[in-house]
Amino acid sequence: MCGVVAFYNYHYAAPAVNMTQMRKVRDYMHARGPDAAGEWMSHDQRVAFGHRRLSIIDLSERANQPLVSQDKRFVVSFNGEIYNYKQLKKELQTAGKIFTTDSDTEVILQLYAEKGVAMLNDLRGMFAFSIWDALKQELLIARDAFGVKPLYYANDGWSIRVASQVKALKQCEDISNEQDAAGMIGFWLLGSVPEPYTRYVDIRAVPAGSYLRINCNGVVEEKPYFSMATVYHEALKSQLQYSKEEAQITIREALLDSVRHHLVADVPVGAFLSSGIDSASLIGLMRDAGQSEISTVTLAFSEYKHKPDDEAPLAQTIARFYGVQHHTRYIDKKEFMNDLPEIMQAMDQPSIDGINSWYVSKAAKELGLKVAISGLGGDEFFGGYPSFRKIPKWNRWLKLPSSLPLMGEIVRHMMPDSLLSSFHLNSKSKGMIKYGGDRAGAYLLMRSLFLPWELKRFLKADFVEDGLRRLRILKYIDEVNRPDAGTGFARISTFETSLYMRNQLLRDTDWASMAHSLEVRVPFVDRNLFAVTSSVLPKLKSVNSKYLIANSPTQVLGDEIINRPKTGFTTPIGEWIENDDHLQMWKQKSDLKKSNCHWSRKWAYDLYTGLV
Amino acid sequence: MKVLALLTDGYGGFGGISQYNRDFCRALANKYEVHILPRSVDTHTGKLPQNVFQYKPFAHKILYFIRALFFVVFRKNDYLYIFCGHLYMAPLAAILAKMFNYRLWLQVHGIEAWKKPSALIRWSVEQSDLITSVSRYTRKELLRWANIDPNRVKVIPNTLREQFCYQKKLTTVISNDIFSGKQILLTVSRLNAAERYKGHDLVINSLPNLLSKFPKLHYVIIGDGDDKERLQTLVTNLDLNKSVHFLGKLDDQSVVALFHQASLYVMPSTGEGFGIVFVESMACGLPALGGNRDGSVDALQDGYLGNITNFSDLEVRIEQLLRTPVDREKLANQTKQLFGFDKFSQLVLGVAA
Repeated sequence: MCGVVAFYNYHYAAPAVNMTQMRKVRDYMHARGPDAAGEWMSHDQRVAFGHRRLSIIDLSERANQPLVSQDKRFVVSFNGEIYNYKQLKKELQTAGKIFTTDSDTEVILQLYAEKGVAMLNDLRGMFAFSIWDALKQELLIARDAFGVKPLYYANDGWSIRVASQVKALKQCEDISNEQDAAGMIGFWLLGSVPEPYTRYVDIRAVPAGSYLRINCNGVVEEKPYFSMATVYHEALKSQLQYSKEEAQITIREALLDSVRHHLVADVPVGAFLSSGIDSASLIGLMRDAGQSEISTVTLAFSEYKHKPDDEAPLAQTIARFYGVQHHTRYIDKKEFMNDLPEIMQAMDQPSIDGINSWYVSKAAKELGLKVAISGLGGDEFFGGYPSFRKIPKWNRWLKLPSSLPLMGEIVRHMMPDSLLSSFHLNSKSKGMIKYGGDRAGAYLLMRSLFLPWELKRFLKADFVEDGLRRLRILKYIDEVNRPDAGTGFARISTFETSLYMRNQLLRDTDWASMAHSLEVRVPFVDRNLFAVTSSVLPKLKSVNSKYLIANSPTQVLGDEIINRPKTGFTTPIGEWIENDDHLQMWKQKSDLKKSNCHWSRKWAYDLYTGLV
Repeated sequence: MKVLALLTDGYGGFGGISQYNRDFCRALANKYEVHILPRSVDTHTGKLPQNVFQYKPFAHKILYFIRALFFVVFRKNDYLYIFCGHLYMAPLAAILAKMFNYRLWLQVHGIEAWKKPSALIRWSVEQSDLITSVSRYTRKELLRWANIDPNRVKVIPNTLREQFCYQKKLTTVISNDIFSGKQILLTVSRLNAAERYKGHDLVINSLPNLLSKFPKLHYVIIGDGDDKERLQTLVTNLDLNKSVHFLGKLDDQSVVALFHQASLYVMPSTGEGFGIVFVESMACGLPALGGNRDGSVDALQDGYLGNITNFSDLEVRIEQLLRTPVDREKLANQTKQLFGFDKFSQLVLGVAA
């Protein structure tokens, strides 16, 4: 895993690239790539690339980046892993291409030379890269289909500056501190900053599954090459039907294939292990894929020791079952409070999550791991969240009252707070009629941290209005499901993967793991696997998709794990935050002191006030 | 392919915006047929470039709209773009573009785009397929209130007119005692009370200290307007009448001559959309100094071609620059190369493609 930098002063009036600034951006990302640092500049000094390397595949120096093609036409700075690079390389070699390294980076270069942007659909993996074409005088920046790897840019009308982190780009003095209203309102509504917005007006994210082409005329093309909704939509047209057994066989093969591909590395690959089905099944599949030495790590909390919330004993049972080298890492409040400044420094953009990922990555690093497999994505692709059941139900029940003009507003205004407290409901319940009747609204209710009308209690009114107008949250949610994914399952899966997984889970995993120079791989988030699940799962009736995961390894887990009710990963972090002497800003707000106020709201408030 | 240009004024117009419009249409005409519907024409239009057609002006807003509507309906032209040359005409252009499904290209110049406009204009701007701004600063200010993909907002700076060039031997010389053997600070701009952002006051206020170091220093102010009297009073109050000279409005030829005779062009403005006058002075070999709070930084190329300063450092920077020898011919050539018409034209066509 690495840090990517590209500077391109595309406008004729712009001066030469500022290399000191470029190096500052690059070296801010030292933790993303502690093994090597490189740079390249064009002869006319209008283009410069930088790179920080974490060596995983082809550990030799010749695979350092930026990598220049043999004919000097192309230059690449790449972050990620291409899991099918060996196969692609073979095809290119058959066509007569000669390679000088064993890295996946060179495959990207040669494939781009061969196919142009069409090559993006051939890449299986997680990636974010910049490629300079000296002949066409054109920069390409692109990001993987699901948005596992981040990529940000600042386009000021004269130049474009690209980096793997928002905070790295902020090392450029001329990038202002001005908050992006859409991005920050998105954070208040959803708990993470929704792409393409970022915390700052001057910086934007390259959307997942998209690329940008930039030449002397600026950004000349900004285009998605992949959309979840489209894949689901197209899959519906297929007449193929699966019996339960056929579905199981197909899913098993696809899962095993994904895991096998995710093990490609020239360093040991470990795994995160919780007590859930997803991560446990991945360990089983790693065994099936032939991995003999497996190190696993589980995060646990001292406060929960010998209590039902402690995941460690069950994780140990799973580890024993699969015969892996297992490590349980306990953390307590003291360690958390000590690490908090470091966590805040690593947090690239405000997020109410990511602390667990930071600690499990810390634990993996302590074990000497450079790569770890994670079960992230299982719930989103296989329907593990309550949203898969609740949203269609809410839509059915609330469609009529929601459609009555002003009904939602009337209920919201009339519902007394005392009623909420009596029934142990949170304040979002006031929005049930207003939002529950349609998909986007129900999803907002499901995932929201605050609802739009609550924001003026914490933020300036004009900032809220500007942010809401720019973000248009319901439209934002609705648009990820274009074209319509077609079935209830596919729609929720599209929402969860394109919004929550992308903007929250994957982004948090990136900054939290990169802070420890650890590469996290996510076999559930895989294009080839999705090609299969998108055609199988939406058509299955009365089958719990999670069983398909659980039954995939040759050694199937016992009933006590598979049939354990889904509890969600509980942590004492909320309690630590609520009771800490330093994180007390939230106590100034009466709304946040109410007994039914979730700790994440308090955390978000303290995070935000700390930022501004 | 054709482009319909809705302009406040084009050929026959006066001022910076009409000059930009003419340069723009001339550039576009290299590849497209340009139909201009102007709101006003101040003088004779002269000969239009090939492929450019300018039609009768209509100053009245409603008549102009009806005219534009009829023009589009009856001409039945398949326009690649409707180009709108001014923010205030954006609603009309947006409605036409929506009605006839044309792509909308909006041009913004400067101060008009720095403040949040009415909801109607904001809506119109947000309908644009392409917005071009003369500077990064204006672009940024527009993006502050317009909810539009920033990648669709591009920068096309003003371009240099050919008469602003370095002459080894001046054809016109301004004869005035103040120019013989003296060091001259020069500012060329309108002197309007509504445009006090130009920074004359700052320069005048820094003069007493500068004069103690450069006794032969003079400050020459070109331009006229309703703020002149106030500035003259300020000069009198500071007892600077012998060092500050108001020469009024001059023609281009005389301004070119002054650019050659002066030591430093200085205009610590806070309201420049771009500041073409900086480029004009440098194209004549005169070093230029401007502020860092507006579009001036583009004209001065972030301080690489020209010089930029914090206002608190103005005096120090003037002093420094007066002591620094300059290769005027080199500066002029670099400026011409950077802001000449060829590059401007290529960018206009590149962005339109």
